[in-house]
Amino acid sequence: MRAIAPALVFFAVAGLAPLVVRDAFLLDGLILILMWGAAGAAWNIAGGYAGQVSLGHSAFFGLGAYAAALCGTRWQLSPWIGLLIGALVATATGFIIGYLSNRLRGPYFVLATIAFSQVLLIGASRWRGFTAGSEGIPVPFRPGFWTLGIADKRVWVWIVLTLAVLVYLVQLYLERSRRGYQLAAVREDEDAALSLGVPARRLKVAAIAVSAALTAACGALWAQYVGFVDPVYVFSVDLSVRFSLAAILGGLGTALGPFLGSVLVTTVETYLRARFGGIGAGLVGIYLILYGCALIVMVRFAPQGLVGWIGDRRRHRTAARATP
Amino acid sequence: MSLLSVTGVTKRFGGITANKGISFEVQPGELVGIIGPNGAGKSTLFEIISGFYPPDEGEVRLDGARLTGLSPDVVCRRGVARTFQKLRPFPGMTALDNVMVGALTRTKDVRHAREQAREILARVGLGEKIEAHGRTLSTGQRKRLELARALATQPRVLLLDEVTAGVDQRTIPGLVQLVRDLHAGGLTLLVIEHNMRVITAMAPRIVALYLGEVIADGTPDVVTHDRRVVEAYLGQAYTQ
Repeated sequence: MRAIAPALVFFAVAGLAPLVVRDAFLLDGLILILMWGAAGAAWNIAGGYAGQVSLGHSAFFGLGAYAAALCGTRWQLSPWIGLLIGALVATATGFIIGYLSNRLRGPYFVLATIAFSQVLLIGASRWRGFTAGSEGIPVPFRPGFWTLGIADKRVWVWIVLTLAVLVYLVQLYLERSRRGYQLAAVREDEDAALSLGVPARRLKVAAIAVSAALTAACGALWAQYVGFVDPVYVFSVDLSVRFSLAAILGGLGTALGPFLGSVLVTTVETYLRARFGGIGAGLVGIYLILYGCALIVMVRFAPQGLVGWIGDRRRHRTAARATP
Repeated sequence: MSLLSVTGVTKRFGGITANKGISFEVQPGELVGIIGPNGAGKSTLFEIISGFYPPDEGEVRLDGARLTGLSPDVVCRRGVARTFQKLRPFPGMTALDNVMVGALTRTKDVRHAREQAREILARVGLGEKIEAHGRTLSTGQRKRLELARALATQPRVLLLDEVTAGVDQRTIPGLVQLVRDLHAGGLTLLVIEHNMRVITAMAPRIVALYLGEVIADGTPDVVTHDRRVVEAYLGQAYTQ
């Protein structure tokens, strides 16, 4: 109970905030924090818990976004069905990427994931007849919960929060269950894990597939929330970096980490965009420079991420109190 | 019927033949030592038995069922566990978590696995170290941890690769005693060891390898006085 108390507080604050906050800008910020937190946490399942670092997770996000958008525009289906289809397609794709992870290790796997998202980007940009090409797809706004045409940002907070909590629970399962222990062993030393009877390959593939499905769910909601799917954005390396950054800054392989990381990344980015945005501003991309610097500082001084760093501080203080 | 049988196992790496038609049988409850100078093919043999390398020829059977061709995790679940010559505890996990990974191969219940892991750690003399991380343990303690982890998978045959290598002289007797205790408890063990004094004190039967072939198989007394074994270890000058 004590271990999940911070998470309970975090999600409770996020869930109750819309009752007090009416400002659209702030609610939008909260939705983005939860959205990128959920995506970061989904990434964390593969990159953190299973140790399969990917910089191509935008592939899954984009698949989810396109599935929702295409279901709405082409077949007049509910985006919820699109979300489901997106998750299924992403799971299948996750199996392929997972298979690659059994063939390629370390940097070669990372490169393969980047290439994979770029292939989807090119596919989505060129296949005009189906995806509308590089112009992107405006998602029609049809009011109602079933069609996810919701103007009230407060409701969006709750919808995205539900997904965030779901991904958090999956991570919690990975910390406490048999499969979680086995996956941690695979991450630490795959051969040693194999020698102890852990089905390493199957577990890695499964982790990547689950991670892919949840990332796609984020993509589907995002498409509905923003109302526009642009291939260059949803399949971008930028987006993959954002997911991984939230998890790395917050704490790889920790359940709350990606959400804390997202608070940091999202607020700083939103602030900088607002501050230096606008036409003719030469500093629009400054947040990317900041990402890089933050990553260097974290890796140098707190490789365990925020969660690990806070934990260390606490232990130090308790230790200091114990020895007078 | 023998518990573990190795039949005509041959393994080539390019032009080098690491194992050449190796055959021997291990009976239930036996402790068999495997000796041989560097490059004799001891470790390669372990990799083949545990499923990490496929042999080019020959096969390994456990209780009559073929192990060759199965992946290492399946071999372990069938009942053959191993330790590594180069120790590889999970460095970021506590000793308890390390052993739990082994225990969870046999039980689905995490709490049950935790209890088992605690017991096994106490049995190998790491009862005080359950919360220590893999990387903070001494070499001797890590050897014990590896042993505990492998034991947790409830093996029918345990393969130990160089139990006493790299630990200081004072630590050796304790480790030897631990292996002896396991044997006395009825466990079947196959032990690679390069320290002649250790293995003759530990194993009632020794298989000697040289250049990938079995050159002697018998009691320590017979094997250590075998002309070819002495030659292999010390060179021809000592055989007069």
